[in-house]
Amino acid sequence: MISGEDNELVARIVSSQDTTAFGELVRRHQSQVRNFLRKLTRDIALADDLSQDCFMHAWTKLHTYSGRGSFIGWLLKVAYTTFLQSKRKSKRYAEILEQAAHASEMEGRNYSVQSDEVTDLDKLLAVLNDEERAIIVMSYACGLSHREISDATSMPVGTVKSVIFRGKEKIRTSFDIKDHQYG
Amino acid sequence: MTSKIINMAERIKDAEDRFLESLLDSAPVADDGFSARVVGKIRRRLWLQRLALPVAVLIGGGVAIKPLVGLVTAVAGLSSLLPKELLGVTTEVIPQMPTIVLGAMLLVACLLGLRTLED
Repeated sequence: MISGEDNELVARIVSSQDTTAFGELVRRHQSQVRNFLRKLTRDIALADDLSQDCFMHAWTKLHTYSGRGSFIGWLLKVAYTTFLQSKRKSKRYAEILEQAAHASEMEGRNYSVQSDEVTDLDKLLAVLNDEERAIIVMSYACGLSHREISDATSMPVGTVKSVIFRGKEKIRTSFDIKDHQYG
Repeated sequence: MTSKIINMAERIKDAEDRFLESLLDSAPVADDGFSARVVGKIRRRLWLQRLALPVAVLIGGGVAIKPLVGLVTAVAGLSSLLPKELLGVTTEVIPQMPTIVLGAMLLVACLLGLRTLED
């Protein structure tokens, strides 16, 4: 186990291509990256493949991390880019998405918050498009600030806020949730 | 000051935010050799990068050796056609010319060797 802040490890990796230090960074952040990609793809095997690709990209692009903002924010930006690139290429992702959308269409319209089904994350995320899903997950699952999400997605902060608002609105509408029913 | 206010505003969560957080909350994923696999892949890639240059030089040298030998023979043949006075001019002007050329070639070879060792 190597001690030191993320930024110190990044400096060591960039200056001397220290793979042990990079291994420590992967150990620290793999859980968040894999969880993020699992929620985006809703396929564990695909998410883990993408996570590996994400860390490989991170290795080659590490010199572009300026130290401004959190390292996990930067890493999630790489993960999101990897996801978008793979989505453009992969037929498999399209199939999974189609299946999930079909399942949501069949069952998702009549959920109410009292039913157990609303806790089914897959169905809830299926009502959101990729962009909304990524931003909602970054905000509520990864705890990134609007500024960090803005950096990660290359969107203005105002747009991030409106995407979150729109996503929440969709969830509310699709699951027939009233304001007083939260919590 | 303004950014602090924005951050505070972001942190004020309503019931809807807490509901989404609990819904999206998930247990940490165990490493299970994931980081070792990633680091192993990167080390393999680094080795490949280090090997690429010497291998390329070897292959290039192998391919180029025959035409190079032909070229050297042709140049040697040409020099025999030149008058002897002209050949002697360079050594007369700079008597250490052969030593300088040999030294320069050795220097280039040493620099290339050092660079490979550093990599």
